[in-house]
Amino acid sequence: MLDITDYRLQNGLRVVLNEDHSAPLVAINIWYHVGSKNERPGRTGFAHLFEHMLFSGSEHVGNNEHFRYVQSVGGVLNGTTFFDRTNYFETLPSNYLALGLWLESDRMGYFLNAITQEKLDIQREVVKEERRQRYDNVPYGTAFERLLRLAFNPDYSYHWATIGSMEDLGAASLDDIREFFATWYRPDNCTLTLVGDFAPDEARRLVEQYFGEFEPGRSFPEFNLERQKAGHEVRETFASPVQLPRIYRLYHLPKMGDPDWVHADLLTTVLASDKASRLDRALVHEQQIAQDVATYVLPTEATGLLLLQATAREGVAIEKLESAIDEEVARISVGGITDDELTRAKNRAEIEYAHQLETFDSRADLIGMMSTYFGDPSLVQRWLDPYRNATKEDLAHVARKYLIPENRVTSVFVPESA
Amino acid sequence: MTVDRTTAPLPTEPRPYHFPHITRTTLPNGLRVLVTENRNAPLVSLRALVRSGADHDTAQTAGLASITAEMLDEGAGTRDAMQIAEDVGILGGALGTGADWDATYISLDVLSRNSEPAMSIFAAVTARPTLPPEELERVRAERLNDLLQQRNDPGAIAGKRFANLLYGTGAYGNSIHGNPESITGLTIDHVRRFYAQHYIPNHSSIVVSGDVDAASMVDLVTRALSDWQPGTEPPRPTVSPRPIDAARIYVVDRPQAVQSEIRVGHLGVPRSCEDYFPLAVMNAIFGGVFNSRINLNLRERHGYTYGARSQFAFRRQAGPFVIAAPVRNEVTRESVSEILSELSRIRTGDIEDGELDDVKNYLMGVFPATVQTASDIASRLVDMELYGLPEDYFDRYRENIAAVSKEEITRVAHKYLDPDRVLVVIVGNAAEIREPLGSLGFPMHEMDIDGNMLAVS
Repeated sequence: MLDITDYRLQNGLRVVLNEDHSAPLVAINIWYHVGSKNERPGRTGFAHLFEHMLFSGSEHVGNNEHFRYVQSVGGVLNGTTFFDRTNYFETLPSNYLALGLWLESDRMGYFLNAITQEKLDIQREVVKEERRQRYDNVPYGTAFERLLRLAFNPDYSYHWATIGSMEDLGAASLDDIREFFATWYRPDNCTLTLVGDFAPDEARRLVEQYFGEFEPGRSFPEFNLERQKAGHEVRETFASPVQLPRIYRLYHLPKMGDPDWVHADLLTTVLASDKASRLDRALVHEQQIAQDVATYVLPTEATGLLLLQATAREGVAIEKLESAIDEEVARISVGGITDDELTRAKNRAEIEYAHQLETFDSRADLIGMMSTYFGDPSLVQRWLDPYRNATKEDLAHVARKYLIPENRVTSVFVPESA
Repeated sequence: MTVDRTTAPLPTEPRPYHFPHITRTTLPNGLRVLVTENRNAPLVSLRALVRSGADHDTAQTAGLASITAEMLDEGAGTRDAMQIAEDVGILGGALGTGADWDATYISLDVLSRNSEPAMSIFAAVTARPTLPPEELERVRAERLNDLLQQRNDPGAIAGKRFANLLYGTGAYGNSIHGNPESITGLTIDHVRRFYAQHYIPNHSSIVVSGDVDAASMVDLVTRALSDWQPGTEPPRPTVSPRPIDAARIYVVDRPQAVQSEIRVGHLGVPRSCEDYFPLAVMNAIFGGVFNSRINLNLRERHGYTYGARSQFAFRRQAGPFVIAAPVRNEVTRESVSEILSELSRIRTGDIEDGELDDVKNYLMGVFPATVQTASDIASRLVDMELYGLPEDYFDRYRENIAAVSKEEITRVAHKYLDPDRVLVVIVGNAAEIREPLGSLGFPMHEMDIDGNMLAVS
C-alpha cells in the first residue's frame, strides 16, 4: 500500500502527499480540471495553446525562465492537454521542492500580468508547427480527428481533437487567454500531488505558504455532455498520401471507470496486444492480410472511447481485412474467451500498472487523474480490483453490447490514386 | 504571513544519490553477467546484449541483423512463436528483440515473482532460437510493408538520406531496416549464419535488474546459459565515411509536404572519444536540451518549429553529429540560416558563465531521475557493457561533467564542428523551397526519396 495523505486548503486546492524516500527526488504534479472539452466552437485548440502560454513566464518568472529554473537544477518537466484535463509536472532533486512550488504557484496566481501579444503570437506559431508535425505532414496523422468528427455532433466537445484547427488557433486572442485563465485556472479546480522524498509537515507548510493566498472561483460554466446516439454506423473513406490502406474505428463506451469500461480495457488485450492475441494471431500471423493491428481504450471522463485500427498488407483489399476483423469479434461475442486469455489480460494489466507506479512522476500523474476524474486519490490503491475480479463472461458481454455496427464509426484511409 | 515571491527559494541540503551496487561475474563460456537489486517495484528486467548489429550488414544483406533479431522469438527451444507469446503473457511479461547499428538486444520485463520461468524463456530465445524458415517469410513480408510505409514518413526519409550521403552503403550508411532488394534476397541460411557467427556468449552480456536477490539471479543465469557454446569473436567492420568538401544542400522532393524536415550535420565521434564529456556539455548548450540555443532560437524566438535539437550519435565507431528540425515550408531558408549561424557562434567562445553552469547542473542533477526504474538501470548497464565503460563510470559521472570548462567547450566546438563542411538534407516541397534555399549560395542538389539525383529545373 502507498502512504497517501489527501487534504484541501481553505481555497479548495486539493493536495495529495505520497512520501517515498527510495530516491532523492520529488515529483510535483498539478492536474487542472480543464481541457479541450471546455472549449467553444470557433476556439478549438485553445486549452492546449493556453498550456504553452503557461510556460512563457509569470509575474516573477521571466520568459523561458520556467524551463531554465527547473533544468538548471537537474529537473525534468512538461505539460500535456487532453479532452478533460491539463497537467503540468516537474521532477526535481528533492532539496528543490520549494523551487517547484514557487514556480507552479506563480503561474497559478501571478500569470496574467506577464502575458503579451508577442508571446501569444510565438506560441501560436509553435502550436501550428506541432499540428503540422504530428497531424498534417505524416501519414494517417488526421485519423483520430476524423473519427471524432464522425462520432460526435458538432455541439459535443469531443467533436474536435485537442490540437484544434489552424483557423481557430489563428483567432485566439489575449482576451481569450484572460477569460480562460479566470474561469479555469483557480485553486478549487485542481489537484496538486507530491510524490517522493520530503518531510510531510514541511511539505504542508510550503504548500500553504505558496498556494494558500489564492481565491477560489465562484462557479463553472455548464457544458452539455449528453451524447446523442446515431443508432447506426457512420462511415467514410478518405484518400490521402499513404502507402497502405488502414481502417480506423471508434466504438462508444461508458466513461472511464465504469465496470464495462474496465472490461473493455481487458478485452482490448485479448483482441490485440501480442502475437497470441486474437486479431494479431488471425490477421497478422495466420491469414497474413494485416500489417499491424491495435486496439485500446482512452482515459476519458465524459464518455468512453475504444479505438481499433488495422493496416492492410500490400495488395490486400481493405474490405477483406474488415470482414476478418468482424469475424474475430463475432467469435468472442458468440464463443467467449478462454481462461488463459483472461489470465494473460489480467497479468498484463497488473504489470502495466506496476510500471506506472514505479516512477514518482507517473505515480503522481495517476493520483492526479484519480482525484480529478473520480474525486478520490486513494482509488490509486484499488484501481486494479475490478480488473482482478473480471470474468470471462464480463468480457464477452462487452463484445456483444458495444462492439456492434450501430455503436461505431469507421474511417477508412486509402492511398490517393497516382 | 506572505511569502517573498521575487526571488527563487533556495535549496535545502542535497540528499546523496548512489548508483546501485553491481554484482559481476563471467561464466566459463565467456558470458558476462551483471545484476543489480532495486526493490522499489515488484518487477524485474532481463536483458541480453550481443555486440554485433547492423554494422555487420553489407550492401547486399542490408537489414540482416535486424531481421535475425526479429526471428529470435519466432520459435525457441521446444516452443513455437505462439507458445512463446502465450507463456510470456501468462507471466505478465513483455518480450522485445531488436538490433541497432552496434548491437542486438533482447529484453524481457516481468513481475519479479515470475523470474524463474521468465529466465527459461529468455535463455531459450537468446541461445536456442529455432529460426524457422516459414516464419522468415512472414517477417520478410512485414518488413517489406514497413519499408513501403516509411516512404511517406518524412523523418524516416531524412534519416536514411542523411546516413547514406555520409556513409555510402557500408556500415552506418544503409538503413538498419534494409531496402526492398536486400530484404527480398535474404534467405534462412543468411539468418542462421548470422546467428551462429555473432550470437555467442563470449561476445554477449546478460543484465538483470530489479526486485531480486543478486546471488540467486547469478545462479539462475548460470544454470540457464552455461551450455551456450562460445566461438570466435567476429571483427567489427570499419565505417568509411565520405569526405565532405563543402557545405551542400540536398533537397529530397516530397511534393505533398507542408513542413520541411531539416537535417544539418557531418561526421561525429565514437563513444570512446576522449572528449566525450566536453562534447556532451557542448551539445547540451547547443541543441541537447529544451533551453538549448537552437531550440530557443528556432522555437521560442522565431516560432519556426515545434522543436529543434542536436545530437552526437556516440556509437562504437564515429556516428553522425546531426541537427534536426521540422519547420513550415515558408521559413525553410531562414531556419537553415539560423542553424548555420548558431554553429558558427558556438565556435567563437561566446559562452556565458550562467549558460555553462545551467547545463552542467542539469546533466549532473538529472541523472537520478533517469534511473528510477529497474528497466532504466538495466539500460545503463547494457550501455556500460556495449561501450566498455569503466566500472566506476556512474559514480564518477558528476565529477567528469563538473570538470568541463568554458575553454574546453570552445576547443571541442572548434575541433568537432565544421559549419563550412556540412550536409544539409531537407525533405520537403521542392517547388516551394528551392528558390529561397538557392539564395543561401551553397551548391544545391535535388534527389527523390530513394536518393536518385534529379536534374535541377
